Amino acid sequence: MTRRFRRRMKPIDSETSGADESPSNAELDLILEAPTGLWRGAWRRLLRRKTGVFGLSIIGVLLVVAIFAPVIAPYDPTNVLIGKEDVKRRDPPCVHLLGCDSDTPQHILGLDGNVRDQFSRIVYGSRVSLALGFLIVGLAFSVGSVLGAVAGFWGGWTDNLIMRFMDVILGFPALLLAIAIVAALGPGLRNTMLAIAIVSIPAYARVMRSSVISIRELDFVAASRALGASKLRILWSRVVPNALTPLVVIGTLGIATAILDMAAFGFLGLGAQEPTAEWGSMLARERAQVFSSPHLVFFPGLAIMVTVLGFNLLGDGIRDALDPSLSE
Amino acid sequence: MKATTKLVALLFAFALVVAACGDDDSADTTTAATTADTTADTTADTTADTTADTTADTMAPFEGTNVTAPNCDYGGVIESITATDVYEVVFSLCKPQPAFPQIAAFTPFGIQPSEHLENTLGSPLDNPIGTGPWVLEQWSRGDSIIFSAFDDYWGDQPAYETLVFRWATEGATRLLELQAGTVDQITNLSPDDFSTVQDDASLQFIPSANPNTLYLAMTNTFAPFDNVDVRRAIAMGIDRQRVVDNFFPEGSEVASHFTPCSIPNGCTGDEWYGFDAVAARAALADAGFPDGFETTIYYRDVFRGYLPEPSVVAVEFQTQLADNLGITVNIVVMESGEFIDESTNGRLDGFYLLGWGADYPHVTNFLDFHFGVSNPQFGTPHPEIYEVLSDAAVIGDVASAAPLYTQANNAIRDLVPMVPIAHGASASAALGTVENAHFRPFGAPLLHRVDPGKDTFVWMQNAEPISLYCADETDGESLAACQQVVEPLLGYAIDSGNVEPRLATACTSNDDATVWTCTLREGVTFHDGSSFDSNDVVASWAAGIDGRNPLHVGNTGAFEYFSYLWEAVIPAE
Repeated sequence: MTRRFRRRMKPIDSETSGADESPSNAELDLILEAPTGLWRGAWRRLLRRKTGVFGLSIIGVLLVVAIFAPVIAPYDPTNVLIGKEDVKRRDPPCVHLLGCDSDTPQHILGLDGNVRDQFSRIVYGSRVSLALGFLIVGLAFSVGSVLGAVAGFWGGWTDNLIMRFMDVILGFPALLLAIAIVAALGPGLRNTMLAIAIVSIPAYARVMRSSVISIRELDFVAASRALGASKLRILWSRVVPNALTPLVVIGTLGIATAILDMAAFGFLGLGAQEPTAEWGSMLARERAQVFSSPHLVFFPGLAIMVTVLGFNLLGDGIRDALDPSLSE
Repeated sequence: MKATTKLVALLFAFALVVAACGDDDSADTTTAATTADTTADTTADTTADTTADTTADTMAPFEGTNVTAPNCDYGGVIESITATDVYEVVFSLCKPQPAFPQIAAFTPFGIQPSEHLENTLGSPLDNPIGTGPWVLEQWSRGDSIIFSAFDDYWGDQPAYETLVFRWATEGATRLLELQAGTVDQITNLSPDDFSTVQDDASLQFIPSANPNTLYLAMTNTFAPFDNVDVRRAIAMGIDRQRVVDNFFPEGSEVASHFTPCSIPNGCTGDEWYGFDAVAARAALADAGFPDGFETTIYYRDVFRGYLPEPSVVAVEFQTQLADNLGITVNIVVMESGEFIDESTNGRLDGFYLLGWGADYPHVTNFLDFHFGVSNPQFGTPHPEIYEVLSDAAVIGDVASAAPLYTQANNAIRDLVPMVPIAHGASASAALGTVENAHFRPFGAPLLHRVDPGKDTFVWMQNAEPISLYCADETDGESLAACQQVVEPLLGYAIDSGNVEPRLATACTSNDDATVWTCTLREGVTFHDGSSFDSNDVVASWAAGIDGRNPLHVGNTGAFEYFSYLWEAVIPAE
């Protein structure tokens, strides 16, 4: 066993066996091959890192906000309050606890240009951003990893065909290509989502391919092959589970990028269409008011920043957790 | 090798000969020049003689020029313009045009000396010579334009010496300059800054009353807008007061008619439908859409006096149509040029948000332009409207035309080609120390009537003029600068669209408004010292209206206001 292997074993060893005596080499191999052990260990290492936990808690809070948006938001995000309350458009935030006159209706993040409660819109906006972030990455992840796995495992002309196609996609600046796709399909959330997913496929495909290539040469794969397992079975139950590790990191960071891209599309007017509350388009609509009503630009921007920060921290945390050499 | 040397030598010899001949030529030229000088002298003498003669014989025949279209088939309004006397010009029209004075008062129809147009080969782009109160001193491209007072101006002398034009694209920048006192008046105040200016005691808030209309348009060639009952339901189902109260600056009004009431005959006839959501929903159900329908609202994201914040107002319509009528609307923002092209050609299948600012103060500028027989922007034009309009257009007298405009306005209300929403207010701002600061409904301010209380007045607008030959410009920023230098025959009053004399003391028409005779002001001099007469009027108009004229050059050569307001330019052969 190489030195590197020993190192990788060590934390798993300490966690799975606790105070027991060191297991034999054979037992170690078994532990190594068991994917659950790896993930459970990674989870524990993640929880030991402050930044990772911080990212995780941001995302946890956001998930709660998104799921319970109707309970948290005091107003419907599309509810125009003209004639319903004595308020003006673009009224600044009014929080009773902070000394705002109690006769004035409370809008903790103020009102937007169409007299809608901005806090409610930001709360509902989290649904759009999170759902789309996960959907985009889910789509790009699944398509990209299948393509990458097939390319890496079969090699030869299949590999060439798939990877050269990926190179073509990579040949374009990602955002520009996505804009071109949206321009062709028409603006809207669904098309934007597809466009961003399509341009992020190559990243997953490439990483998957390189993982698969290195893993398919390992002994346990050879063993399976010797035992007569079919190619598909080897790929599916031996190679892919072990190659997923780096993809998880890219995927988590990818959600952050996807949310940023969605916001960019919203800003350009290509993403979510009114009256859907989406952070990027909220920001864009009021950008001219940055001096007169800064709250309308600041809070959606802050929401985007916090979300992206959360996923970035979590992504970094997962990467470190999955790389035991860093944990020592 | 030898051959080459020979060849070179030969060439050299030839070159020498040519050079020698060249010298001979230049010698010749010198002689020619001398001759020319002599000729010039002689001519000068002769001219002097002639002038002397003329002075002696005061009744020398006036040779009036004219511009005449071969016939009226070219589609335009102008048949001929003739200088019948030193101070009289006759405009013969192909069809009646009662609004002739209102149109002729527009800055692009300003008068420059005929010689100047010839000298500049028809494009005096940065050196206009006019009769106006201000003489162009210097145009530093990208920075400023400086004018000085014209001592021989026929009207009242300005109260100060120097007028400076500057520009800044951003509304915030203009306001900052004004607050700092580096400029005296700014244009296009952004609606968000209205209260800032109103609350500042050192500034004046100057509302502008340029008549305009925002309308929510439908194209009747697309379902369900082909159904007049659907259109009527929509007309009732929009709370226009709410739109104006919440999204328009102070001073804006709900549109009672398509044409603003400040235009004579603009708002005769019944007022627009009152807002009634219940009745509107019932009417839409009767029309076959109890649950509404799905459509699109198109707009362009361009700030205009009639539409201060397009994206926000579009969402307001989306909300109202959904709440009041159950109509689901998707919002589509389009590029400005594409939007104008698609909408005005009737190719948009949903609602669209567009408006109109008056070019000249006459009801035809609103109604005939939009509802005339040849405008497809609301789909198939309605004969109930355009037939009445074409009858009314030939009546010069406001009161006599009133019954027809009442009929037309009622037909528009009944057929609902669009829903008139608002007449938007816009504003300018000036330093509190400026006396008589104003912003006219039509045309740029008459800056010679302003008194800044010092030697210089600095005017800041939102863009640099494109050129100072306004016969071939359309943007307000160019026209504002031109207007200070060059004057048309007539002009608009300082506070209304009423037409006032400028270079013409009066323009009168025959009974059916097909012949207009303008009597010109005597004793007016141009900035170059030459005197103003009827041939200058013909030359200035000919350069714009006559495509055959060698001076029909301009900046782009489009002469858009000539071809739009006089319906066509006389085509080149």
